[in-house]
Amino acid sequence: MMGLWDTFLNWIRSLFFKQEMELSLIGLQNAGKTSLVNVIATGGYDEDMIPTVGFNMRKVTKGNVTIKLWDLGGQPRFRSMWERYCRGVSAIVYVVDAADHDNIKTSKDELYELLSKPSLAGIPLLVLGNKNDKPEALSTGALIDALDLRLITDREIACYTISCKNATNIDITLDWLVKHSKSKS
Amino acid sequence: MALVNPRDKKDEDRDDETEYSPFFGIEKGAVLQEARVFNDPQLDTRRCQQVITKLLYLLNQGESFTKTEATEVFFATTKLFQSKDIALRRMVYLMIKEITPSADEVIIVTSSLMKDMNSKTDLYRANAIRVLCRIIDGGLLGQIERYLKQAVVDKNPIVASAALVSGIHLLKNNPEIVKRWSNEVQEAVNSKAPLVQFHALALLHQIRQNDRLAVSKLVTSLTRGNVRSPLAQCLLIRYTVQVIHEASGISSSGGERPFYEFLEGCLRHKAEMVIFEAARAITQLEGVTSRELTPAITVLQLFLSSSKPVLRFAAVRTLNKVAMTHPLAVTNCNIDMESLISDQNRSIATLAITTLLKTGNESSVDRLMKQITNFMSDIADEFKITVVEAIRSLCLKFPQKYRTLMNFLSNILREEGGFEYKKAIVDSILILIREIPDAKESGLSHLCEFIEDCEFTYLSTQILHLLGNEGPKTADPSKYIRYIYNRVILENATVRASAVSALAKFGAMVDFLQPRIMVLLRRCLHDNDDEVRDRATLYLQVLGDTKDIAPDGAAAFLSETLNVPLANLEASLKAYEPSEKPFNIAAVSKEAKPLTIAEKKKEKKAQREAAATGAHANGVAPAVSTSSYENLLNAIPEFASIGKLFKSSKPVQLTEEETEYAVNVVKHTYPAHVVFQFNATNTIQEQLLENVEVVMDTSLADEFEEVASIPLKSLPYGSPGQTFVLLAKPEGAVALGKFGNVLKFKVKEVDPASGEPDEEGYEDEYALEDVEVTIGDYIQRTSVSNFRNSWEALDPGLEKVDEYGLGPRESLQEAVKAVINTLGMQPVEGTDQVPSNARSHTALLAGTFIGNVPVLARLSFGIDAQKQVAMKLAVRSEDESVSELIQDIIASS
Repeated sequence: MMGLWDTFLNWIRSLFFKQEMELSLIGLQNAGKTSLVNVIATGGYDEDMIPTVGFNMRKVTKGNVTIKLWDLGGQPRFRSMWERYCRGVSAIVYVVDAADHDNIKTSKDELYELLSKPSLAGIPLLVLGNKNDKPEALSTGALIDALDLRLITDREIACYTISCKNATNIDITLDWLVKHSKSKS
Repeated sequence: MALVNPRDKKDEDRDDETEYSPFFGIEKGAVLQEARVFNDPQLDTRRCQQVITKLLYLLNQGESFTKTEATEVFFATTKLFQSKDIALRRMVYLMIKEITPSADEVIIVTSSLMKDMNSKTDLYRANAIRVLCRIIDGGLLGQIERYLKQAVVDKNPIVASAALVSGIHLLKNNPEIVKRWSNEVQEAVNSKAPLVQFHALALLHQIRQNDRLAVSKLVTSLTRGNVRSPLAQCLLIRYTVQVIHEASGISSSGGERPFYEFLEGCLRHKAEMVIFEAARAITQLEGVTSRELTPAITVLQLFLSSSKPVLRFAAVRTLNKVAMTHPLAVTNCNIDMESLISDQNRSIATLAITTLLKTGNESSVDRLMKQITNFMSDIADEFKITVVEAIRSLCLKFPQKYRTLMNFLSNILREEGGFEYKKAIVDSILILIREIPDAKESGLSHLCEFIEDCEFTYLSTQILHLLGNEGPKTADPSKYIRYIYNRVILENATVRASAVSALAKFGAMVDFLQPRIMVLLRRCLHDNDDEVRDRATLYLQVLGDTKDIAPDGAAAFLSETLNVPLANLEASLKAYEPSEKPFNIAAVSKEAKPLTIAEKKKEKKAQREAAATGAHANGVAPAVSTSSYENLLNAIPEFASIGKLFKSSKPVQLTEEETEYAVNVVKHTYPAHVVFQFNATNTIQEQLLENVEVVMDTSLADEFEEVASIPLKSLPYGSPGQTFVLLAKPEGAVALGKFGNVLKFKVKEVDPASGEPDEEGYEDEYALEDVEVTIGDYIQRTSVSNFRNSWEALDPGLEKVDEYGLGPRESLQEAVKAVINTLGMQPVEGTDQVPSNARSHTALLAGTFIGNVPVLARLSFGIDAQKQVAMKLAVRSEDESVSELIQDIIASS
């Protein structure tokens, strides 16, 4: 009975609001993708995480918007499969560990590799520099330069630095995402 | 073939239903298109389920997906994890298992499955465990191991079973991890849920299977306890049998067999499955006694009249096997089995009939044959072949019944049937003709009738050849001529040519027929086929010019085979250029060329087949090999004048296996000579042996004298060669003796790179084991059709009886076999087979002593609890001294 009722409610909701969006969270391993999902979904943060083997699928409702989140594993063996879960999404969220200077280069290469896929043309991109609570973390400007984000002109793009640990800038991230859900559907 | 009709009927009935099949005429391409709905932002779960069902249907129909297609479908399916619909999730699990994407892609679902494995929904948990264990690698398995361990003892039986079955699969690649679950699995064995118990027992046994003691303990504790699940009980019975089997090797056979009581108890179980399993287990016990067997046979007998075809089939199949070793135990079921002959299920009917043929005694043969005749017309050819084979062995068992059985064979020969079936019948008749002398005439005339209307060239030529060889020796050869000449008028060229050859043999061997045969052959000169005309011309020449050739010349020419290998003859003929000089057949090499590997394989296969049919037909094989030796020996000029070969022994090894030079010897006995044929194999690749010969030391055997030795010119690596020694002995005398042997030869080193031998060589020799000529070499294996009649025909006054203790033996069968081998006589009426639990046995042997003296022996064996075997040997022959000699064989060995 609950199932029926839920379906009914969803139907009513979709009838009036029609605000549903689908996002893909990608980035190198240990960038904080799964933590970000948890922060968005529950507001909780756990220091001790295990690497995602494959993907996690989460649905989050924020206000009038239902967000489907494909949280993908960042280890090299999953990177070739990112593209399959980015097709047709409302926006791609690319998470970077802003404090891990050694891997910025790899992160940049993987990003450009992904964006070169014709199937993903025109999909808005949100780049998030995570872990800005750490002193050595790059600032937003430095991150934009490090990733050469100014070169990307064929799609809508934004870049913020956030901290999942301290829940910094999570609100502006959500605002950006919700804004793009409206434009999409 | 007979099955076709009922199936057609069913198909007609089903026609109406097919229209409603949701899968009727679905196509892969269209379904793959449909699978795009998996990517829709708003999922239609019902639709998705239907599409997956179609995909699964296609996969199960054997449709194959290309790698790209499989990958696309797989990734699309993973998107369905977003839905919370339980039914759809179940289909997703199935799909992932069936589509089997490559290992580097399938890991993408690992995280989702791990989440499901710990979900609150039991169905998710069970299925996620199954899928996860299917796709996981050893590294990740460590991470989820503790969840699996918990699942094994989960209170939900579906989850527990899933974990246990997964454990069985994982054990293959990750045994060390699964072995750590022993305690949990042990707990699951005691589960109340039948399925969990079954799976847990299977896994526990697999974990411990290499530890004999642990398995024994497991069985001991469970046979006492209460196993609820019938499936688990069946498994337990199998494991018990295993334990019994292993234990029987250790403990002596005294007293009650361990666990037998448990097996017998299972015969009263309420599940039929368990009853059958227990009955089957009992029948297969090693050395089962008839007392142990009785309860099992009783329940199987009940199954025979069950309304369920599967039970009837299982029971009759098991009884069929039992009948091979314990025909008497099965006799009680004969009435039930006779009613099964008319069973609708032909497999059941065939098994019933063949079982009856095995258990039947002489008196029931006639009645059975009548029933089989009604039954033959409506079974398929392959079943008919089984029946024909059963009848053939029955006929060899009861040679007195050959008339009935031969009639039956000839009747079915006349009916419709495929080549394989007809071949089986003709082969059976040929074997009967060879084995049972009385059956020859009637068999030949049945075959004559058959070729009047035979559509198989192969069979016709085979029969014509036989008629040519055997027909002239019968009482009234002229009656076959009409059948054979009819072939010349009516059949195709191949058969006509065979018929001409057969006619010529009659002409050569039967004087009074010769003029008439000549007339017939002359008519064949106008045949429109070259081969037929050529043969006719040749035979006319041979038969017409008898004055020039010795009287036997024509007969010998026609009936004897060429004594050169055909391949060599072919090569020589190809090399021959037309000239004044005629082709000289004597110049053709008589040494068989080394066979190529492919040919060797073929020959081995042929030998194996010969051995198989030999076993079937009770010693037909030795006769065949003797004749092939005969050809080989006749080809050697030195042996041309020593008369007719009496007997060739089995090869005796004179070297250890795996030595440099492997040598075995075959003894050929002639009236006044013995030929030793040494078969030598050179196993050293770097050596070529030349002038190989065996030097025999005759100093210890006064009666023998060396006449000739025929060395082998060269013996290259890997291809066997023969060298011969001819010894003379007093004509007709039974000369015995022991000979020392030395292999002498010249060694030439071979360069492994070029394969060329060195010019220089050196002399060398190699000691061989001794060869002995025994009385056995003077006895030929011959068969008699009715031992009792032949036995009584011989004067009881000349009988020699003695008793012997044979000492401890492994089994009665082993003792019987050893004695038969020592005597070198032919076991008749299948008496060389000893029922496995018999305490006493009588074997009947027949043979011919040199000088054509028939010998019969009756051996009575007994074995006691200490496995001491005693034997009473009674020998009868026309010559008292021969009987004494036979006794001497046993006394001296």
